[in-house]
Amino acid sequence: MTNINDPWRDDEVTRTLNDLPPVDPPSTLVNDVMSTIASRKAARATHPSVIPTKRGKLMAKKVLWIVAATAALALITMRLVGYPPVEKGTEATIGAAQRYQSPQISSADVKTEDAQLQAFLQSDLFRQLTTDKTARQALKNKDFQKALQEPAVRAALASSDVRDAIGSVKLGVAGDAAALAKSDVALRAALDANAALKAAFESSPALRAALASQDVIAAMKSAALAAVLSQSDVSIRLSNDAAIRAVLSAPDVALDAAAAAGGAAGSATRDAAPSAVR
Amino acid sequence: MDDTGDAALIARCLGGQQDAYEAIVTRYQRGLFTVALRMLGNYEDARDATQNAFVKAYEHLNSFDPEQRFFSWLFRILKNECLNVLRARRPFQSVSLDMPSDRAADPVEVRERQKAIQTALMSLSTEYREVVVLRHYTDLSYDDIAAALGIPATKVKSRLYTARQQLGELLMDWRVAR
Repeated sequence: MTNINDPWRDDEVTRTLNDLPPVDPPSTLVNDVMSTIASRKAARATHPSVIPTKRGKLMAKKVLWIVAATAALALITMRLVGYPPVEKGTEATIGAAQRYQSPQISSADVKTEDAQLQAFLQSDLFRQLTTDKTARQALKNKDFQKALQEPAVRAALASSDVRDAIGSVKLGVAGDAAALAKSDVALRAALDANAALKAAFESSPALRAALASQDVIAAMKSAALAAVLSQSDVSIRLSNDAAIRAVLSAPDVALDAAAAAGGAAGSATRDAAPSAVR
Repeated sequence: MDDTGDAALIARCLGGQQDAYEAIVTRYQRGLFTVALRMLGNYEDARDATQNAFVKAYEHLNSFDPEQRFFSWLFRILKNECLNVLRARRPFQSVSLDMPSDRAADPVEVRERQKAIQTALMSLSTEYREVVVLRHYTDLSYDDIAAALGIPATKVKSRLYTARQQLGELLMDWRVAR
């Protein structure tokens, strides 16, 4: 075993290593380096987007992007046209399932069989109703709808005095309508003053229940509802026609948008009604 | 390998003056080539590795940290090139240790001795060979070598100790064989 701690041995190794003489680098090294740098620069200037791969092949970024975009486009196209075709009986086994896709409803699809209904839907009165949130809220009330089906109630509510009396009932205390009648001075006075209302109130549980709703009481001050209630046939239609009820029950946003469109309100309601009827 | 003025030359290179890099290559070609030759033991391989190292250094010059010694940074690039060459060699592939023709004038005995030393160097592992080469064939201090290799100076010394010990064994065998 060599003892490297022996100074002679260490010196010997060092001396031996130093026996290897310095070797001059190739005389062309500097030129070779500089020409390689220059040629690479020139190549980059000519093909800025070309990148060398590890295997020495050249692949252009643009080509990559074009290939990727083409592949994506082909996939989308195949998806849209349903390629490859699926034979009958093999749907959803291999390939895309042929699901039913219903087309969007267009104006041409709207067919109203009732001419009177169509006329009402296009009337100013209906437009007023759709733009009056208070009236719409009241007409959404099931008890109120039910009460309007009763002739006595319709007759009573056709009177502006009755509507004013109901409208003056204090808001915020609505609860049990019978108890309300006892406690609310204005309602009691209205009932005492108007025999028709009193009769309707006593005979119609639906009306009593309806008057427990703040929405119904508030709507008595609505001009649109007043116009509706003063026309008995319209009241009947409102209470009986499912299509109209459906339209009035549509989300406020849709109706507000229709109202904002002004004259387009009629068409908006026309679109909504048939779908509700279906 | 005086690195005085390296910063100015590098700044000029980064400014687009290619001739400044020529000055850098001229300045460091001998040191870098010697290291490559001693690491690879083959003249042609050393030339290619040195050339590649200089080209790559130029292409990545903007990533050079001026706080470092330029030669240390160059050496790290060269080391990677040398490792690529060594990896590409097949196991047990014999490598010609002949030097260029201008060395042919040396006496046979001298050439045999030099060949034996280079063979001994090539017998060392890359880790040991690089410390020996940097210590004996460049003017780098232990700290510079440590910085170039990315290891503590104490580890440089311990590796150098072990490498010399192994070289002593190898060279003793050669002397005995003669």
